[in-house]
Amino acid sequence: MLLVCGTIPREDLSIITGDARFDGEKLFIEDREILCTQGTAALISAACVTAQHFKSAPPRVILAGDTGRGKNSHALYDYLAENISRINPHVLLMHYILPVMGLMKKVHAAALKCREKPVLMADASSMYAAKAAGLGSQFDVFTPDMSEIAFLADPDAIHPAYISRHLFNTDTSRTPDLIATAWQQKSAAKILIVKGSTDYIVENGKIICTVSEPDIPALEAIGGTGDTISGMTGAMIDAGLPHPEAAIAAARTNRRAGEAIGATPATKIRSIIGAIPQALNAY
Amino acid sequence: MMFFRKKDKTVFEGGGLILFHVVEEAITAEKILKANRYEAKLVAPPPHLRKGCDLALEINLVEKAGVERLLSEKGAYYLEILPIKGVGELLDVVQIKYFDSACMVKAGNMKLTFDTQTGVIVNISGGGCPDIPFLHVNMLDKKITEVTRPREKGFTLCALMLDRAFVEALDIWNRGGN
Repeated sequence: MLLVCGTIPREDLSIITGDARFDGEKLFIEDREILCTQGTAALISAACVTAQHFKSAPPRVILAGDTGRGKNSHALYDYLAENISRINPHVLLMHYILPVMGLMKKVHAAALKCREKPVLMADASSMYAAKAAGLGSQFDVFTPDMSEIAFLADPDAIHPAYISRHLFNTDTSRTPDLIATAWQQKSAAKILIVKGSTDYIVENGKIICTVSEPDIPALEAIGGTGDTISGMTGAMIDAGLPHPEAAIAAARTNRRAGEAIGATPATKIRSIIGAIPQALNAY
Repeated sequence: MMFFRKKDKTVFEGGGLILFHVVEEAITAEKILKANRYEAKLVAPPPHLRKGCDLALEINLVEKAGVERLLSEKGAYYLEILPIKGVGELLDVVQIKYFDSACMVKAGNMKLTFDTQTGVIVNISGGGCPDIPFLHVNMLDKKITEVTRPREKGFTLCALMLDRAFVEALDIWNRGGN
């Protein structure tokens, strides 16, 4: 089972759980419609269509309504810490949750009590929390973008807003150095998908593949195109693909989905997700 | 189904410090933050960060935007909010990229893209804190001159970075879009 945990921008929900379904335009958790927008909703939608392609079970989700106040993010951490060993997922993918170092440690400790240690994935603020809590090397997959790999390489930063200026550089030729530094500092997961004009797929600190075609510059502007890579990767790992293979396939499929619909900077993420099945079929 | 938060027994590590002129300000700020569900702990600031009095308040640095706004609304005084480790200033690198009819402004990990003909915000990407999807929904498909600044509605450091991108984008739009 792929278990996705994150927040959605609603004040009226505490925590909801259930199986997810994406009908091509709309996302449902059981019978409840969730707006398919940038963030965890986009990640879940991409995971749904990918799981369908591989004929595996739909993602199970635990979602909290949180617009940034943090109350329900705390509730989500607590719920996870109390229930993760009972749920016993194959893949645990943590996403938009207010970063709280102590609570991330608590969830990680609880995950280790599962009958079999889940594949641990983190993106967005959960990746920030894992790194800040000193747990980066305990995770299996992180999906940073170019600014976030600089954050992982900064030994002191607990959020990308406070990274050293010398690490945040427009010169992407320095990306391999940042990857190596992040690995040496034990801030990186075993697999990294570093998203940018060239995507770097990294295993145990070594770049094993780069993906730069098709080149769709508009994808960088579209909110949710990193979320879709994380969702696809989680679903592919749950379907049994080796982790590096899943990472490479997700990076390529994302670009092909963007190409298929002629993505522009104004394209919305649900259009990209709608094209993922076609891109997966062509893979 | 409702789940209620249990008392948290984990050790609080927030990574951020609020510095004050005098001890009374620190105690007042602690009361305000705790009354509004923020985690906060009175601590002695490390020597290299010490300014003003010998008492500081440790907070979750990620919540800086919400904490600043709350203390301001309540009229509470403080010197500044700093990370305990690392650089003390928010990243101030802003980059601009033009597409055919759109301009993307990047500030740190956040990107805001607007249509250079209409001024409509067409996308917001990057970031990871839970107020970003909320701000995304609130700002998307609206004219850049008609939306509230992200720092006034957001709660986190991602919102502050988005605010930097927004301010730069608004400036570009006001100068003619390029």
